[in-house]
Amino acid sequence: MLGAGVAALLRRRAGVAEAVSLVVHGIVLVGAMMLLGRATQDGPLALTVFGGWPAAIGVGFSARLPGAGLVLVSALIAFAGAVFGHAAIGPRRRRAGYDALMLALLAAVNGAFLTTDLFNLYVWFELALLAALGLVTLDRRQAQIGGAIRYAAFGMLGATAILAGIALIYGVTGTLDLVTLARVLGDEGPSVATATAAALLVGGLALKSGLVPFHVWLPSSYAAAPLPAAAVFAGLLTKMGFYALLVVVAGVFGLGATFLTPALRVIAAATMLLCALSALAQTDMRRLIGYHVVAQVGYMAAGLSMATPAGVDAAVFYMVHSMIVQANLFFGLGAIHRATGSWNLRGTGGMIRSNPLFAFLFAVPMLSLAGIPPLSGFWAKLLVVRAAFAGGAAWLAVAALVAALLTIVSVASLWSEACWKSLKGRRVRRVPWSMLAGMAILSGATLAIGLLPERVAIVAKLSAAALARMGS
Amino acid sequence: MTILYAFCAAAIMGAALYMILSRNLVRILLGLALLSTGVNVMLFVAGDFGSRQPPLIRAGEKALGEAADPLAQALILTAIVIGFALTVVLATIVVTGWRSSGSLDARDLDAAEQPDDPEIREPHAD
Amino acid sequence: MFVLLLVALLGSCIVPLSARYVGKGAGFIVALLPFGLAAAFVAYAPVVERGWVRGEGIAWAPSLGLDLTLRLDGFSFLFCLLITGIGGLVAVYAGGYLTDKPRAERSRFFTLILLFMTAMLGTVLADNMLLLIVFWEATSILSFLLIGFDSRSARSRRAAIMALQVTAGGGLALVAAAAMIAQVTGNWSLAAVAGNAPQIVASPYGVPIILCVMIAAFTKSAQFPFHFWLPNAMQAPTPASAFLHSATMVKLGIYLLARFEPVIAATWWGRTTLITVACVTMAVASVQALRAESFKSALAYSTMASLGILVLLVGLDGPAATVAMIGFLLAHAIYKAALFFCAGSVLHATGTGTLRSLGGLARKLPMTAIACTGASLSMAGIPPFLGFISKEFLFEAQLESSWELIPLAIAVLVNAVMVGVAGVVTLRPFFLKPVKPVKVEHPESVSLFMPPLLLALAGLTISLDPDWITRVAIRPAVAAVYGRAVPVDVSVWHGWTPMLGLSLIVVAIGAAIVRWWRSIHAFLRDAYLIEEIGLERLWETTVRGLLRVSAAVTGWVEHGDLRRYVVTTAVALVALVLWSLAVAGAAIRWPVVDALRPAEALVALIGVGGAVAAVRARNLLTTMVAVGITGFAVAITFMVNGAPDLAITQFTVEALLVVLLTALLLAVPLDAARSRRPRQRAGDAAIATAFAAVMFVAMVDMTGAGHPTPAADWFGRMSYVAGKGLNVVNVILVDFRGFDTLGETTVIAVAALLGASLLGARKTEPQPRRAVHYSFAAASGPLFWLLIVASVLILWRGHDQPGGGFVGGLVAALAFAVFALARGVRSAETRLRARPTTLVAIGLLLAVLSGLPGMIAGGPFLSQLWWEPPAGVPLPKLGTTIAFDLGVFLVVLGAVLTFLFGLRREGAR
Repeated sequence: MLGAGVAALLRRRAGVAEAVSLVVHGIVLVGAMMLLGRATQDGPLALTVFGGWPAAIGVGFSARLPGAGLVLVSALIAFAGAVFGHAAIGPRRRRAGYDALMLALLAAVNGAFLTTDLFNLYVWFELALLAALGLVTLDRRQAQIGGAIRYAAFGMLGATAILAGIALIYGVTGTLDLVTLARVLGDEGPSVATATAAALLVGGLALKSGLVPFHVWLPSSYAAAPLPAAAVFAGLLTKMGFYALLVVVAGVFGLGATFLTPALRVIAAATMLLCALSALAQTDMRRLIGYHVVAQVGYMAAGLSMATPAGVDAAVFYMVHSMIVQANLFFGLGAIHRATGSWNLRGTGGMIRSNPLFAFLFAVPMLSLAGIPPLSGFWAKLLVVRAAFAGGAAWLAVAALVAALLTIVSVASLWSEACWKSLKGRRVRRVPWSMLAGMAILSGATLAIGLLPERVAIVAKLSAAALARMGS
Repeated sequence: MTILYAFCAAAIMGAALYMILSRNLVRILLGLALLSTGVNVMLFVAGDFGSRQPPLIRAGEKALGEAADPLAQALILTAIVIGFALTVVLATIVVTGWRSSGSLDARDLDAAEQPDDPEIREPHAD
Repeated sequence: MFVLLLVALLGSCIVPLSARYVGKGAGFIVALLPFGLAAAFVAYAPVVERGWVRGEGIAWAPSLGLDLTLRLDGFSFLFCLLITGIGGLVAVYAGGYLTDKPRAERSRFFTLILLFMTAMLGTVLADNMLLLIVFWEATSILSFLLIGFDSRSARSRRAAIMALQVTAGGGLALVAAAAMIAQVTGNWSLAAVAGNAPQIVASPYGVPIILCVMIAAFTKSAQFPFHFWLPNAMQAPTPASAFLHSATMVKLGIYLLARFEPVIAATWWGRTTLITVACVTMAVASVQALRAESFKSALAYSTMASLGILVLLVGLDGPAATVAMIGFLLAHAIYKAALFFCAGSVLHATGTGTLRSLGGLARKLPMTAIACTGASLSMAGIPPFLGFISKEFLFEAQLESSWELIPLAIAVLVNAVMVGVAGVVTLRPFFLKPVKPVKVEHPESVSLFMPPLLLALAGLTISLDPDWITRVAIRPAVAAVYGRAVPVDVSVWHGWTPMLGLSLIVVAIGAAIVRWWRSIHAFLRDAYLIEEIGLERLWETTVRGLLRVSAAVTGWVEHGDLRRYVVTTAVALVALVLWSLAVAGAAIRWPVVDALRPAEALVALIGVGGAVAAVRARNLLTTMVAVGITGFAVAITFMVNGAPDLAITQFTVEALLVVLLTALLLAVPLDAARSRRPRQRAGDAAIATAFAAVMFVAMVDMTGAGHPTPAADWFGRMSYVAGKGLNVVNVILVDFRGFDTLGETTVIAVAALLGASLLGARKTEPQPRRAVHYSFAAASGPLFWLLIVASVLILWRGHDQPGGGFVGGLVAALAFAVFALARGVRSAETRLRARPTTLVAIGLLLAVLSGLPGMIAGGPFLSQLWWEPPAGVPLPKLGTTIAFDLGVFLVVLGAVLTFLFGLRREGAR
């Protein structure tokens, strides 16, 4: 966050701003690693209350588990994004405040992952909304403005729903601290006010994370943003919404509050199927992947809607996997665009012959998205499917598998069009090294999770336990 | 009184939603502004209505006596300012959109829906 | 075995690099790896021979149920030998086959082939089902990459995608099956499945499990109705076809079925299904084999028929079926790989694979011709080749089992067709006269004819001297599949048995087919448009239909009309609330009705009136004023209910909004024609009313719940004691919840940045001076200073009295707004002297930095410090909160001014 201020001051000098943002991302990354270390060692509640006030009164940050792990992932993505952006973002965009907006976005996302306070969460959402808007409109093209208006209108609607939910909860309980809320709400049965509040929060957060039927604004605004920003949106923004959903549903209201599960299950299944289906027909690569981003959130929601620790566990694992993979996919699209000059599948091709290293780096997230073992996506999908069977919702598992098949079909044709097909009459350019390096960081992470899933699995399990413990 | 205020908040929000459902972007904008006002009233209702005394500690005393809910007020204050910022930003975007497309009709946002012409290159390393 | 797998994996990545440096002999170098592995596996022979099982395991990810457990029994051992042995020959062959290709591409091919071999080994060695799936899917992906290896050709790409669609779909079925089995038995071990068969079948998941396993096996082994991908897969380079699509990968389905046989057999319908599917596949495949025009596709269809025979044998009961299955598996892998090699050589040599245009190649490719003859004799089941023995087993199994005659009849016919195909593919290209002379571009080389020759020889030697292979491979494999040891007698001559009679019939029909192949072929080509085409078309239509549905759905969902999006969202939100209310099933709690205070009620109703007026107004200016009325009414409401801070803020915000939005409205047309049809308006009104009603009910319930205020009370108690402030709201903002405020300040700062980026970059033309009433112009100067002073005062006393950084900043901005209204933006900018964005940045830094001293003093970030003057000294108390508040002040001021200047410039254009 400090970095955002510095970058804002420096935005006239593009080179310096880039260096600053790279350094800040690096620092955040190291910090996040330390944070996760603390979270796993000191137990799940390493709490810092800003201002030094007692917990449950002031606004605090806590290295609670799902959050702390996700901060590490987001820092990794942001760092890779900064590396990738070296080639993708020209000085004109940097002068327009790209670095500052990016840092503000990162600050918002991390703030949301760490905060212990419901209202503070809302503040971070607003910050993320504004920073994202800034990134979407960076080039001031007409399509971007259109996307931005839609994005802004929906962002504000969602935020209002969230705020209304918060108001209801505050009116009933008089507190905003997540842990206290979990305790208070866990003791009481649902009342009209809390059930409405829960639905409003779920609706607002579903809008933020792009679940069907609240998803319509999402794919087109991804298509409008400059590339590394779109990658960060895909990796972080929707997951921020889902994280809040996770905390609200599994933590605050508790897994015992089953009045949300039927609706969530329907939403999850609709999201998986509808968006995987929609992705099939897309020819604009950014929209294609944009739909997959949404479909993936559906899997997480499926895990969450099981209302079992195993389901939450699956959702957390899925989140970690999908954040990395989706950001990386957008990086890949950027590289393809750089090489072939097209966002459209009809105008792409030949990547495997001109950029074999790129093809490998791109294959990793693609296969992972499709859920091919032993990459991270397989374990994530497996956990969701298992949780669905164990939770007695076999139909949801079937929906997940059908969506997975649709994803494979779509990914295979993307690969065939972008990498295999030969481009007639045009030379395919080389992808700059910084783009490859950015992708390599994330592909490496995906491979590592795929081959050594145990660590992430343990973190996910501890997270589920930590969320379940919030209310007790 | 409380119920009346609750009714007002709900009515304002309903009216705001109706405006947002319009197709004129400026009406949508004003509707969103109205919506945030409505939610602020809602937050106010959520605060304590026990007292109409401002939450100021009287000189010479150490603690707050009988007064309105200060926390709710702090939240509303934050929410007002954020709502203001968002409204202004949206207004700016609407103006920019108006300048570039000459339309205030929400249906004309379609430019974002159509796939880009592959010929439009992004300004890369300019 | 781990070591072996690891060696295979690393080797596949490293060894092919040699192909970048070595030219011709690269195949031989690469083949060292599979041959070495084969030798290493042979070292396990004594273990397997005794019927022992060798298992190894280490924990990988126990919390996922994933363990690296390997298990080598007789069946796996047989597969391992086939995979490594044929793999080595494929490598040698590929070295000769790919001489035309660039070295990089050749090396890539070797890598894929060796990786595939590793994946195959992994699949047959894995005991943990997840591990099995990992390797299983890896074979699918590698098959995809190999089929599409010639990626410039659209046909290859299409074939690759189709193969992946089918096999990956099967893989997902396997995932589902594994997950369900683990759900039922709590065990991921493949070996344990047989033991748990009754439990699995009895569970509610029993039927789905078996169906999923069958789908997985049928897709992989190209059984009807999933068979159509295999002939298309022949687009792959021939060595890959030989390895993947005939000798090894397609047999994985058989492997899986054999492993699951106890479960399948435990149901009444399991075996029937297998046999039915197998028979249909065999029938379809044999017809297609006769229709096939090219060498490779004739072989592909005969492979499919053979796979059908294998599935049939799995489906039949009794030990003889198992013996036959193992024997046929071995024989088929050997002769079919050899035939593919020969097909490849012909293709390579002549550049054409069409059977009818080939002929007389025996003279030009003599060694290949010999190999082809040997392999074909084995395929046709002519003694003394291995194929004969396996065919005897097949008939024996069918006669012994308790099944009807139809499968037997089909088996006889299919075998006859295989004889026919074997005859045709040998005689036509090599020995019959060509229709027109065939040009040979590449003569055969050692690496091209040695592998098929070796395999053909193996087919002969094994049947003549079957002791070793029977002892170490066939017998243990049969025991492993059947569950107990079965005496296996492999010899060419069994005496005069019914099986021999059947064999004679088969050969006779086969000979007839060879004789009249040309007319049969022509007849089938002309007259026969059967399911094969139908199914392939059906699949393609399905995929295309899916695309159309997808496009339609996307078009329907993403229509681009913001209004309908909002409608969807609002309806969904209301529905979600109602649904959760319905499920929660709680009753409304009513609050205590308190006295109605008329004046305040009136104010509140004016607010509602403003909102309604805003809805009804047709003119945007009127709408804005109406919205403003609501805002002011709300501000008054705050005021009378004990919230002066809020009231001031609300007033200032409304005032600024009016100024800013006027600038917007100056730019756009003011009259807003109705954009909705009456019906839509009615619908919208209904949605809005429903939304309002839901919110109202929830709020009533909320107030009825009573209002505990633990946090608020604490703040009230501690505000002065700990926060040194009398205005509790302000203390909460800058101290207790200072972090919120910091976030909010960042929000504003980002908004300013955005505004600057959207509005700032355009060059402004000199502004025309507008007429402003002179009294306003004259008053604006003093008014400006008055407001500035007021704002500083508000900032300063905010800690104890109503006020603070936000309000202060807003009031100061108001000062500039008045000034800009009166004298123009330019002079206001001059008066500010600094760029608004700089103010924002400084303010944000100040706010962040103000949190640091507390950190240095040992507290967490944003711990506020206070310095109180000693009693009697007439100095105000100082604290870091003041710096914080000043930061907020600057950010708000800068941000508002950014927009003010930008929007007014924009409006003036």
